[in-house]
Amino acid sequence: MEVLRLQNLQKSFGSVRALKNASFALKEGEVVALLGDNGAGKSTLIKAISGVFPADRGDIYVRGEKVSIRSTRDAMDLGIETIHQDTSLAPDLSIARNLFLGREPVKLKWLGVFAPLDFAKLRDAASALLKRVGISKKLDADALVLTLSGGERQSIAISRAMQFAAKVIILDEPTNNLGVEETHGVLRFVKEVRDAGHSVLLITHNIHHVFQVADRIIVMRRGEIVAEQTVADTDLLTVESIITGADMSALLKETRAK
Amino acid sequence: MIAAEDEMPVGKRRSSLIRSPQFSSLVILIVLLAIFAIADANFLSPLNISNMMAFLPELGIIALGMTLLLTAGEFDLSVGAVFGLAPVVVMLLVQNGGVDIGFALLAGLLLCVAIGAINGLIVTKIGISSFLVTLSMLLVVRGAALYITQGFPLKSWDQPGFFVTLLAGSFNVGSFRFYTSLWWFIGLSLLAIYVLRYAKLGNWISAIGSNRNAAVARGVPADAVKVWLFILTSVLAGLAGMISAFRISAASPVAGTGYELEVIAMVVVGGTALTGGRGTILGTIVGALMLRAIRNGIVLIGVPGLAYNIFVGLIILAMLILHALLQKNAARG
Ligand SMILES: Nc1ncnc2c1ncn2[C@@H]1O[C@H](COP(=O)(O)OP(=O)(O)O)[C@@H](O)[C@H]1O
Ligand SMILES: [Mg+2]
Repeated sequence: MEVLRLQNLQKSFGSVRALKNASFALKEGEVVALLGDNGAGKSTLIKAISGVFPADRGDIYVRGEKVSIRSTRDAMDLGIETIHQDTSLAPDLSIARNLFLGREPVKLKWLGVFAPLDFAKLRDAASALLKRVGISKKLDADALVLTLSGGERQSIAISRAMQFAAKVIILDEPTNNLGVEETHGVLRFVKEVRDAGHSVLLITHNIHHVFQVADRIIVMRRGEIVAEQTVADTDLLTVESIITGADMSALLKETRAK
Repeated sequence: MIAAEDEMPVGKRRSSLIRSPQFSSLVILIVLLAIFAIADANFLSPLNISNMMAFLPELGIIALGMTLLLTAGEFDLSVGAVFGLAPVVVMLLVQNGGVDIGFALLAGLLLCVAIGAINGLIVTKIGISSFLVTLSMLLVVRGAALYITQGFPLKSWDQPGFFVTLLAGSFNVGSFRFYTSLWWFIGLSLLAIYVLRYAKLGNWISAIGSNRNAAVARGVPADAVKVWLFILTSVLAGLAGMISAFRISAASPVAGTGYELEVIAMVVVGGTALTGGRGTILGTIVGALMLRAIRNGIVLIGVPGLAYNIFVGLIILAMLILHALLQKNAARG
């Protein structure tokens, strides 16, 4: 079943055409890796999907239905959760407060933004979640995020996406700035997320990670999708040459033939 | 730090409270009070305490708004000018326009809403730093107050009645004399504590100041929250100006000059981070008390009038250094 489809998405920043005509689909319970060099347009693509800014042109379908994503709230309500590069958590807030940021459990709901937080629920749900994702060992839901390591922060951000039963979880360079150990933790986590039934769009420029967790690979270059392959049908060297653009014509032909 | 502590079990809460910035500010406040009290017996006299308590709410009320604004990562330099303009407009409406005092007060507050909204909209929609926007607004607002009064102070409303009692009534407790403004300060402080620590909105305010992009990515309406905080701060500054004008029965176009820095000093001395994300209302109350006590105590213990800002500045600097060191320690530990 198809969860997400993009059709001819375009986005320019002034004269920079960051995204030219991108189309692809994401199926239920699959991990798709979005690869490409710096500046290829990966972040722009996922920002258009997650509502950071609207695309200039093109359509987005969620479960076959055409949708309009004008804000991050729209995307979240459609079941699309995004973990952006370096900007996913508020360091001065506790883990629990971060996990529920924007969707705080409250009492007296009619008070709107002045409604009191339900601290008991907040703490319980946070601890339960930390336990479920297997990072409860030493993490305390009341600890401030600024006291956490990079890997712990990524795990928290991913758990947050999982907790809202998101259909699609988008990870933008989740292993950037992480140590080896932490990187493996995050990758293991991505597999667990998939096994729990979520679809994952994983943005990275590390090909090795891709081969460890992804089912399919999409390669972007200069704002365009230049290749789309299943991991089983390709290998590291091929993908590497597509990313850098070496011998592209032959590879494109190969891709189109499929 | 502040955000987390109310949710913690008691034992943990105690240790984190002791290490918190508002706690160290409180300790220093107590030490300062003790020094002043020992140096001059008059410091704790009913008359002197009554005096301090008369001034405290006027700056304190503005500081509450400023704390929320700073926590969200912005600040407002136009509060002192708004403090001066609001009562002047009210009195001009009453004296020259024949407007009912109640409507005039309402009009004054609406003017503050407009000033705050303009500040907030320019900062968030056009993306100019709040330092530049509110500095310009300071000049516009102060200039307007001087122009419409031609620089002369106005006699303020002094007919006994509902509004005088509401804003500047006084009552005696034993030999102490307190103004109703103290109730305003206490009430607004409780509200601000509730909002920042316990309400959903407080979570948003801290998150916006801590990492705006993260908050926006979670669907938090960061710009709207900031605009409302600018409006709130402006309205509180206008309210404080009206309280002050009613208390001294005069509305001066230069009232509140320099208050913006005094208020920001109160807030950061209390432990709120100038960089946003970490705000404490309790700390601000301590900070307001501290600056009031310093200004009052330094005169009492005989520091020459002209030297007195040297001491105020040095004490503020010492407090900031202390907070910075504590902060460093906390990040390490
Ligand atoms: N907000 C922006 N304003 C202007 N140009 C941008 C903006 N965001 C991205 N770009 C440009 O668009 C292109 C694609 O960037 P991006 O999507 O961040 O690439 P990637 O994430 O693949 O490294 C780059 O040339 C980048 O400089
Ligand atoms: Mg990127």
